[in-house]
Amino acid sequence: MRIEIIQSPTPLQELKRLAEENYGDMVKGVVDVQRKILALGGELHADGEALLLEEGSQQEDLWGFNLYPEKPKDERIEFSSLINIRPSQGNTSMTIQDARLKEDAKMIIEGFIKDDG
Amino acid sequence: MTLTLAQQIGHVGSELTRAHHWEAKQDPLSRDRALLRALELLDATLEDRRWRKRLKELARLREVLCGLFCRDYRYDISLEPLLDYCNPFARKSHG
Repeated sequence: MRIEIIQSPTPLQELKRLAEENYGDMVKGVVDVQRKILALGGELHADGEALLLEEGSQQEDLWGFNLYPEKPKDERIEFSSLINIRPSQGNTSMTIQDARLKEDAKMIIEGFIKDDG
Repeated sequence: MTLTLAQQIGHVGSELTRAHHWEAKQDPLSRDRALLRALELLDATLEDRRWRKRLKELARLREVLCGLFCRDYRYDISLEPLLDYCNPFARKSHG
């Protein structure tokens, strides 16, 4: 599965196409909350994570999510990823336990989604 | 082994579904047996040299499953999110 680095707002239709190429209704993603970029695609979140690390991201800034472009706006982003389990940062869950960090990550991701119409 | 990664993880998910079923039925012995089968399948996946560059996530999954089996709840993760993790692979492997 192809992985794309997203650095600018992307039309929702394009994200739907990406989801279709990946898991049908869903595409896996990794967000760098520091550099404010995304990696979308890949069979595992770790694939996107590895790409961002190669591109200069720091592990501590990377958080995995699932994007469902067909769902309503407030249901599109799901923070559930094995790469989010990071005891060294106090995160012992597949989601992001720090509410503020979670909200910041969500806003960054939403900034890349250009809704249709 | 010629199964795709999606198929392999899909099979792990099938055993986790069974474990979840037995957990709901309050049958810990059957639950644990299903978790052990899931771990066996995952270990076979970890040994598959095709995925050697993707061991991190697979190893983390194994760690979480071991924790569930040992009832070591240092990770705030139940079977449900793991089923959600495995299900897309299963759907994909069924085309």
